[in-house]
Amino acid sequence: MEKLLAIAKANSDKVEIFSLEQTINLVKFENSKLKNIECKVQSGISLRLIKDGKLGFSYTKNLINREELLQNALDSLKGGVEATFDFPHTKDLPRLSTYDPSIENISNKNFVDECNRVCKKLSSKTKGQINVSAGSAIDKLRIINSSGTDVLLSTSNYFFHNTILYPNSYAAIHRMLYLKKFEKSPDEYLHFVLDTYNRSLKKVNPKAGKMKVLFMPETMYVLMWRLLSATSGKDVYQKQSPMAEKIGEKIFDAKITIYDDPLNDKMPNARSFDDEGMPCRYLPIIEKGRLKNFYYDLHYSKKMNTKPTGHGYKSAMWGGDTVFLKPIPSLEHLHIKPGTKSFSELIKLMDKGIVVAGALGAHSGNIQNGDFSIGLSPGLYVDNGEIVGHVKDAMIAGNIYNAMKNVIDIEDTCYPVSAGTFPAIIFDNISVATRK
Amino acid sequence: MFDLLKSMLSKTDSKYADLRYEIKKEIKIIFNGKELTQIGSNLTDGYVLRILKNGGLSSVAFTKGIDAEKAIRTAEMNAVLVSENIEEPIQFAKADVVKDTFSPKLEEDPRRISIDEKLELTRKYNNLPLKYEKIATTNIGYMEVIREKYFVNTEGSEIREDLITTRINGLITSRDGNLIQNVRAGTGGSNGFAILRNAQEEFEKKTSIALQLLKAKPVEAGVHNVILNPSLAGVFTHEAFGHFSEADLIEDNPTMRKKMKINAKLGSDILSIIDDPTMPNQLGFYKYDDEGVMARPTQLLKNGVLVGRLHSRRSAAAFREQLSGHCIAQDYRYAPIIRMGNIYIEPDTNTFDDLLATMGNGLYILDAKGGQTSGENFTFGAQYGYIVKNSKLDEMVRDINMSGNLYKTLQNIAVIGSDLVLSKIGGCGKGQLNIRSCHGAPHVFIKNVIIGGV
Repeated sequence: MEKLLAIAKANSDKVEIFSLEQTINLVKFENSKLKNIECKVQSGISLRLIKDGKLGFSYTKNLINREELLQNALDSLKGGVEATFDFPHTKDLPRLSTYDPSIENISNKNFVDECNRVCKKLSSKTKGQINVSAGSAIDKLRIINSSGTDVLLSTSNYFFHNTILYPNSYAAIHRMLYLKKFEKSPDEYLHFVLDTYNRSLKKVNPKAGKMKVLFMPETMYVLMWRLLSATSGKDVYQKQSPMAEKIGEKIFDAKITIYDDPLNDKMPNARSFDDEGMPCRYLPIIEKGRLKNFYYDLHYSKKMNTKPTGHGYKSAMWGGDTVFLKPIPSLEHLHIKPGTKSFSELIKLMDKGIVVAGALGAHSGNIQNGDFSIGLSPGLYVDNGEIVGHVKDAMIAGNIYNAMKNVIDIEDTCYPVSAGTFPAIIFDNISVATRK
Repeated sequence: MFDLLKSMLSKTDSKYADLRYEIKKEIKIIFNGKELTQIGSNLTDGYVLRILKNGGLSSVAFTKGIDAEKAIRTAEMNAVLVSENIEEPIQFAKADVVKDTFSPKLEEDPRRISIDEKLELTRKYNNLPLKYEKIATTNIGYMEVIREKYFVNTEGSEIREDLITTRINGLITSRDGNLIQNVRAGTGGSNGFAILRNAQEEFEKKTSIALQLLKAKPVEAGVHNVILNPSLAGVFTHEAFGHFSEADLIEDNPTMRKKMKINAKLGSDILSIIDDPTMPNQLGFYKYDDEGVMARPTQLLKNGVLVGRLHSRRSAAAFREQLSGHCIAQDYRYAPIIRMGNIYIEPDTNTFDDLLATMGNGLYILDAKGGQTSGENFTFGAQYGYIVKNSKLDEMVRDINMSGNLYKTLQNIAVIGSDLVLSKIGGCGKGQLNIRSCHGAPHVFIKNVIIGGV
């Protein structure tokens, strides 16, 4: 990497090199039977350089030919992509606990044994189909640049997915365990999935109309995607955010506080620097219902004439290889502040309504506008303060800027899920379309 | 290259092993509004190894050639671990040994066209919407992906095939006050650069729709009779039905496997669906899949009856059914899984006016905006639509998402048109992305569909 930096520097004004090595192991069980074991050992390097105010970018998996990688980056300068920013000089970062060395002593055999143990435990208590998976990821990330930054990060992750499927479908109750090291799944975690499934086994077809709707942590991404779009520095700059002029305004119910917390190393994947080598920091997005901040990478902060917030990540909506992507503004450590009631208290409080346990089509619809219109996969039907069955052939629809003003209550615990760490939330007056 | 791959494979004594090496060349040009935000050409490569040992199958994807032996030991160990934890040993259906080198026929090889020309063409299309005041922004890009694949297995197959995919596509966003609307636009294919030329009309039409949507009213939620245009009916075919023709999705889901039994009557009598990756010049075209099996046209539904499904070597053996050649990987980072190639509803003889006449009142909805399925239930969005009154198109509506039960909806297909159209841009995410996923249909009239509204 140092050699590449040296030859790239000789050919341009400013240089940044991003290197990532990853080892991923994944064990999958379907219908309580081992289906697959997969392993990935991947590495890659990407190069950004700035010359005469223009930005060049290239990447490769195997650094066999440094000159070719450099040439690709130099060639891309010709396109004339504007480089508005400089690479940061980052030092004295806080030390975070992101790597647990015990992960190296864990084998796929441990994952297979854990999956077998959980399947055995659950299958005696439910007729539903059980799919589980366990796996680990070890990442080694390094960023160096011509401003003198040289930052390193090792992370270890262990994840366990526990899923019970309804008949004739992949609609399911599921919950994820997400840790820095391997641990057996605690009983209360297994019990939640089991109990929620068993209570909702009956198929029901409620009447259409407006009603209370509870989003589980697992489906909160449907709403968060819309907020992430509206508060991204990129969308604000491109004039496609309905929130562009609303900093400081109360846009949600006062019970809602949403923030990004990359430095919290109790969670896996904590970060002290982003994918551009900028220091990470706590960033409130919504505080007691008020819109506080947009989030920026280097490029869009410059475009908007504001300070970068340390949220430049090489990420995309559909994943993709980190190394191949250019940084964009992204919230990778999103949290919703929990409330005070347990999940079962929320269900009692709800009295009657729909729980969104799984969502279909969250990516369709007018995301920028905050609209959502999703299939329930499944919904759980609550009557008299109890889960009494599940609903499949139905949709719910709304707009987050209306829904988030009508918050009834928030769960007291947050769970790691797709897009962040969230509690369950009950909203009032959401439109539900069914066949009745 | 084959000699190197064969020497790597010679380090295993397992019953079966295969190794795929790929060089992937990618060109990306992206505009956000007027600004060019990315341009470049890059080359990456990698290996995927699969080992079948003692009745256990396992894969390792790795980047560096020097890791080959380590990858073999890891895959062997994991395959044995699988074999020790399953009751029925995994078997592969017998496949022909193939030695072949295949390059698709192209109308203008994109490799011979300069990046400057690609940039100018993309800029030209991107500028079309930006002329209008109420177009807030665009996100339009050129993408070229060339996969040069080398496949060898311990049975003696040696296959070299190139897959060349190009497209110019993206999103046009319109805005009026706080109302923001967007429409997808684009063209592309797997048969060369020529298909990208002369697409002004597509970008102009979609710009006009993005502007009209600012005045359209939201659709009313409820149960509606609907006509789907070919793009949307194609997504329905892919999402709602196609995925459950993929044997790996139902193999270990007993309740769904029971529903998807061969000879089950699943759809109305007029409905026939086929997947045919061998159709030349279509986006989903390929000759061999990523297990080295030659692709073949596979009839899935005939007059409403399930008659076939899509297979890997593993699933064909498990189901004791014919190989179909549908086991495809995104690239060198993934082991292959079962994917659709070109899936479509076979056309009937009715015109669009026949469909309108039969429906009378309802909705005409057009162009897909993302879809998803969870077995018997599916949801997908339409980009825009029209209210149909007395068999005539009336005002435009927006915010359309439809949902339904697969089996009920297949039965509710009442009339099928004659105007088959296949998609030019793909992107199916089943754990890994398939940019060549192609689907199509004629216009289709379906009764009683749930529309979510907003």
